[in-house]
Amino acid sequence: MKTKKYDEEALLLENKKVNGKYFKLAFRSQNLCKKIKPGQFLHVRVNQGQDPYLRRPFSYFRVSPGRVEILYEVLGRGTSILSGKKKGDALKVMGPLGNAFTEKLGKKKRILVAGGVGVPPLVFLAEQYPTEYLLIGTKSKAELLPKSELKKVRAKVLCTTEDGSYGTKGRVTLLLEKILKDQHPEEFFIQTCGPKPMMEAVITLARKYGVDGEASWDESMACGVGACLGCMVKTKDGLKRACADGPVFQFKDLKL
Amino acid sequence: MKVDLTTRIKSLTLKNPITVASGTFGTTDEYAGYVDARKLGAIITKTITVKARAGNPMPRICETSSGMLNAIGLQNKGLEDFIEHKIPYFKKLGVPLIVSIAGESAEEFGKLAKTFDGMKDVVKALEVNLSCPNVEAAGVGGMKKQERIADAVKAVRGQTNLLAFAKISPELGDVLEIAGKVLAQGMDGISLINTLRGMAVDLRTRSSRIAKDFGGLSGPAIKPVALRYVYQVKKEFQVPVIASGGISNAQDALEFLIVGADLLAIGTANFVEPQATLQILKGIEDFCKKEKIRGLDDLRGSYEPAGEKGEGCNR
Repeated sequence: MKTKKYDEEALLLENKKVNGKYFKLAFRSQNLCKKIKPGQFLHVRVNQGQDPYLRRPFSYFRVSPGRVEILYEVLGRGTSILSGKKKGDALKVMGPLGNAFTEKLGKKKRILVAGGVGVPPLVFLAEQYPTEYLLIGTKSKAELLPKSELKKVRAKVLCTTEDGSYGTKGRVTLLLEKILKDQHPEEFFIQTCGPKPMMEAVITLARKYGVDGEASWDESMACGVGACLGCMVKTKDGLKRACADGPVFQFKDLKL
Repeated sequence: MKVDLTTRIKSLTLKNPITVASGTFGTTDEYAGYVDARKLGAIITKTITVKARAGNPMPRICETSSGMLNAIGLQNKGLEDFIEHKIPYFKKLGVPLIVSIAGESAEEFGKLAKTFDGMKDVVKALEVNLSCPNVEAAGVGGMKKQERIADAVKAVRGQTNLLAFAKISPELGDVLEIAGKVLAQGMDGISLINTLRGMAVDLRTRSSRIAKDFGGLSGPAIKPVALRYVYQVKKEFQVPVIASGGISNAQDALEFLIVGADLLAIGTANFVEPQATLQILKGIEDFCKKEKIRGLDDLRGSYEPAGEKGEGCNR
């Protein structure tokens, strides 16, 4: 039998806009809060009807006793419906799904490279485990998490915006390359989550400097448990399922 | 009151009519943490091909109104792997297994049928998949040439006396005509419908939202179409029918039973609610209790056709 999974009707505790782009949703769950690890995801039904029909995967943002938070961007119909949910509403949530980021890195120093919707799971990781750098790339200042959401992160937090409205102007890989170039790359381990072009650029840099790492690879999913084979990822051992074998894959295993 | 859910299909007796549509329940234990598969009447496997298939590129799926498009492309590890790694799992599970098979040629269909003929302790029936929307030779593309359907079905029948259902869809042509032909070639029943080919366009890229132009549409969106074909085939031929196509809740399942379906294959609903099969089973039982229906055979095929003047009920 597989490890215990939960499929619960959870009560919403909070659902509010935290900046120009993201909503933070919190729900009550005595089970999920104890089990989940950074990198894993939840499969959420945004309504009880048949349109939209499929569940949506969300990564975890933060957990505390009895409480689970996710951070999401309103991108389409599903997330738009989700953003209309209120405290006290019920939400069908299934998880924890997928594998997790490596938590203990031994002597290696952790660099987290986050972009867009990839920010939440890496903040979750940086709040719980020693981290040297958290690099965050967004299009503009409006999409950055408010400082209050980052105060528990014990790492050097560096930001880039593509329009230069906050932090360094440009892409997040600029910061990553500077760190790898100026310091001893072999001392680091990179963990990344974000849009695919960003992760591809991160992996290219990691290979150039000989650094190991992990990426949380995302594909359109239906079932979330490895049944439908909709979300395959090319690895050196053949096709793997992002939902069940991933979403976290070692850089060295990914065939890009 | 106890409701008798027993479902008999020729020589096969199942404890209830609930099964899973091919390709929607994983390859073995993907749903083991969520649902007790031993409670199902039968399990229909993901389609097995002789050789391993890598399937199509990503993205393979996208959501559409009340459903989804998929272009998985029959990804599977092939016959040998299935026998070595999957059959032992199902043998242990002890649920009657219906193996879905697809070949690129009549020879391959024959080989698959012959192989499973030798495993009657586990395999109780075959579903001959003639209607995958996402592959060439083995799917609707190749099978549109109707002599290929006949060849495939003959090849299967020539190699096994296992119960065999032909899985067809309106994508192949006239459903009733094709059903008549495959039954004449010795198929025991019909499984319908498969997904229907559809499209979805990304406005930004002006290209398909999946990696192929077309994908197979499944989910609640196709249920009325599936229901109609199940009704028509059942009425015309009175043969065993495995119904699939958007069955999402007990209401849907009961509608299919009323038009005569023998087995109900739950598909896309599994992706949304892993417990969908057992929830539907309970819903059927509750309905029967409420309506004082003792056995499913009293409900099956009880549909009252619309009156000639369209009065809706001719009772």
